[in-house]
Amino acid sequence: VTLQPEANRQLGQQRLKWLCAFIAVVFAILSVRLWQLQIVEGAEFAVRAEQNRVRAIPLVAPRGTITDRHGAPLVENRGSFNVLLYREYVQDMAETSRFLVERLGVSPEDLQDLLRRNRSAGLYQPIVIKQDVGIEDISIVEVHKRDHPEIQLGPVPRRAYRYGGLAAHVLGYVGEISEQEIARGTFPEARAGDLVGKFGVERVYNAVLTGKDGGRQMLVDSRGREMGLLAEEEAVVGGELRLTLDLELQKTAEAQLAGKVGALAALDPRTGEILAMVSAPTFDPNRFSTRISAADWESLAGDPNKPLQNRAIQNSYSPGSIFKVVMAEAGLEDGMIGSDTHVYCNGAGVFYNHTFRCAQHKGHGYVDLRTAIARSCNIFFYDLGRRLGIERIAAHAQSLGLGRRTGVDLPNERAGLMPSPEWKQRARGDRWYPGETISVSIGQGAVSVTPLQILRAVGAIAVGGKLTTPHLLLRAENARSAPSWPVANLKVNASSTHRIRDGMWGGVNEWGTGHNAQIPGLDICGKTGTVQVMSAERRRIARGAEFEDHSWFVGFAPRDNPEIAVVAFVEHGGKGGVAAAPMAREVFRTHFGDRRAPAMLSQLTPPATPR
Amino acid sequence: MNINERLLVSFDWLWFLALLSLSAIGLLAIWSTTEGTNLNSYFGRQLAYVCFAVVVFLVVVYFDYHVYCDFINIIYATSLALLGLVLLIGRSIHSNKSWIKMGGFVFQPSEVVKIVAILALAKYYSEIERDHLELGELLTGGLIVGVPMGLVMLQGDLGTAMTFVPIYAAMSFLAGLKRKHVLITAAALLVASPVGWLMLKDHQKGRIQTVFNPESDPKNLGYQTIQSEIAIGSGQFLGKGFKRGSQGQLGFLPARHTDFVFAVWSEERGFVGSVGLLALLLFVALRMLRTARDAKDRLGGMIVVGVLALFIFHVTINVGMVIGLLPIAGIPLPFVSAGGSSLLACYIAMGLCMSVRMRRYVN
Repeated sequence: VTLQPEANRQLGQQRLKWLCAFIAVVFAILSVRLWQLQIVEGAEFAVRAEQNRVRAIPLVAPRGTITDRHGAPLVENRGSFNVLLYREYVQDMAETSRFLVERLGVSPEDLQDLLRRNRSAGLYQPIVIKQDVGIEDISIVEVHKRDHPEIQLGPVPRRAYRYGGLAAHVLGYVGEISEQEIARGTFPEARAGDLVGKFGVERVYNAVLTGKDGGRQMLVDSRGREMGLLAEEEAVVGGELRLTLDLELQKTAEAQLAGKVGALAALDPRTGEILAMVSAPTFDPNRFSTRISAADWESLAGDPNKPLQNRAIQNSYSPGSIFKVVMAEAGLEDGMIGSDTHVYCNGAGVFYNHTFRCAQHKGHGYVDLRTAIARSCNIFFYDLGRRLGIERIAAHAQSLGLGRRTGVDLPNERAGLMPSPEWKQRARGDRWYPGETISVSIGQGAVSVTPLQILRAVGAIAVGGKLTTPHLLLRAENARSAPSWPVANLKVNASSTHRIRDGMWGGVNEWGTGHNAQIPGLDICGKTGTVQVMSAERRRIARGAEFEDHSWFVGFAPRDNPEIAVVAFVEHGGKGGVAAAPMAREVFRTHFGDRRAPAMLSQLTPPATPR
Repeated sequence: MNINERLLVSFDWLWFLALLSLSAIGLLAIWSTTEGTNLNSYFGRQLAYVCFAVVVFLVVVYFDYHVYCDFINIIYATSLALLGLVLLIGRSIHSNKSWIKMGGFVFQPSEVVKIVAILALAKYYSEIERDHLELGELLTGGLIVGVPMGLVMLQGDLGTAMTFVPIYAAMSFLAGLKRKHVLITAAALLVASPVGWLMLKDHQKGRIQTVFNPESDPKNLGYQTIQSEIAIGSGQFLGKGFKRGSQGQLGFLPARHTDFVFAVWSEERGFVGSVGLLALLLFVALRMLRTARDAKDRLGGMIVVGVLALFIFHVTINVGMVIGLLPIAGIPLPFVSAGGSSLLACYIAMGLCMSVRMRRYVN
């Protein structure tokens, strides 16, 4: 740089250099920052830019349908919409709230509550404001799509139980996975917010029924307005479940228990396939398809009749006289009942210094096994129990599956109880009194069974000693492995089961206690039970339905080659032969329907008993 | 005075080309983000502004800069009157009452007043014979700049008002500001800054606070900074390509055609583009520095230094804000951002500098 001739009139060169240095520093800082943003952190920002513009919309996979054994749908899905709030696109919360309250009828308290509960969730996660909305709400949201892009409709397939409360305890219901279920890993493939089976086969076969969720990636602008579709992955529907239930039979069974409290179940004793299972009162699982309200839940869970409980497997009762079938099997197999064993019944008997009564106060006179079963004579079985002893009774009962879970494919099954001296020592810390054996002999005392247990036991005797595993699954689509249902072949003589069946046939067809189950032309075998809920003396002064006896009936048909076994149980129903037997009859009637061939009428004679 | 052959030869074509390139970059970015949207009128208007501003530039260049300074008293008085008028009848845009409507155009007189202040101060300082400034002269200079600055501040346009400060500082520095006065001023500023903080409005305080922690309030004040950083950063080395910048295209960037045009450019053109743009701006700054050095008299040098200070201030504040180093302030990027008043002011100011450059030889 050469100095200009009139340097004094120019600017100070030194100070210009300072200015130049300052400018250089400024540009250096800016460049370094750009290098940092675009080169060092560029990839990171690229991801954020991508997330910025893409909204992932989950497409919930419909669960698999559930059908009866003939393919008639019991549970399907229907399309529905939830109203969702995307908080990240809210411009003005006051305005959004006003819209939700005034146009969509959301209560301000509920809205505040929802927002508070979701405060810690990511802003990008939509909040479900309203579930399963109607056409009015759908059109309001659609019309205001542009000015309220933060409010969206989310399509959700919803469970539709076609027949409402029918077989509700078998089918179960679904709900959002709970925190405990996540913590315990109950459903290893489910994530928070997913819908899982909570009860019934919905729960047991959740893995089969659950489909594969898809997703849709929408291009959105800064206000969340959808600008186009980037990618879509279709949701894959869950596997279909075919149950062993027979819809027509189930309908009949449901009708029998309408207005009552109790259980009814029918199975094929040859395979263990459950053809019908009813627990009353029932509930409508559709109520669980949307987020169930606290009041709704209270009315179900707080109902003294416990409608959410499956009485066929989740509650156990004294079997009463139907236990005599088990007693007969024990006596026959252990040689305690010969072909000519007779007991004289005069209406009461003294055992171990206690008087035990027969239901027939006048007494049955001389009774053999056939009459004892058919007429339900207590004295015969008191005597048999005394001679057998509790150990042998318990061993036979347990081999017939009493006192342990049947292994049915439903959750929360109760084991029931078959008492024994060891059990009493362990559970009550007391020795076994011989008098208790006498009570157990007629199904009273500590013995308690679930309806399904006794049905399975009687079914095993009906088919000559084949103890099956009752089950509901006929076929599952995409199942990882074919289900196997263990069968135990009991060491039972054909003549023993034959004699028991004969007694039960008499009970229904020869003016025995089960005559109300009789259908002309059908060889139905059955045994009734009437369980006192309190002693006969106190019963005389107590009034009211809650003191009525429990009623049982268990039976099967046809007598030879049985293909269906039925158990009916009514809480406080009164006499088993009056309350329970007609219910079973209707189930048999529906099952056999037109197959009640006239040819069978000719067989309306007592079968020859091997002597 | 006529443009003779020598003057024409002295016209710095490369510098002029750099200015046109900056405007072209601005036009490209505006086209990219506004075409096909409800803002699509911006491109055409900006193109018209550029053409008009270039014509004005050539007119300014045509005259010797001394001519403007000869009439500076009248121009200065008129400007102040205009500012006063704006205060009375001005239109509010974004809460700033700094716009005036003339015919079909809205116009921001404060943009042009800055140049008038530069000319007035340059004339005053250049007539001082000594190499250093006495306190009285420094204060008089402060008054010349301070009055229009005060008026602009009254309009509520704090950002524009702030631009008078670097003009005054740089020109005083070159006029021979004493070290003693620098220290006194620095001390005074230090004392005054807490007072100044208290005088700021809440939204202004918030803007400053969010620079230090933009994620603290991502939906409000920090939002713009974060979105701008995402836009620039995601451009990476080569950029996403023309009309491919999702941040700009989908409206995540605020004021994408005006204050944040640098982010749009950086997103679509990457590091190469953003540094290239910076280099172009630096080139213009260096041209002005050289012109200031070579100016034939103090008046010319002073004018160029004033314009340079204004230019550097704008570039620093705008780019600094867009890349998350400085608070959000409504300061456009010279020659690039959409906006007629700002563009016109830039070309007029640069025309004055070019005029100085063309007449650098003493004859």
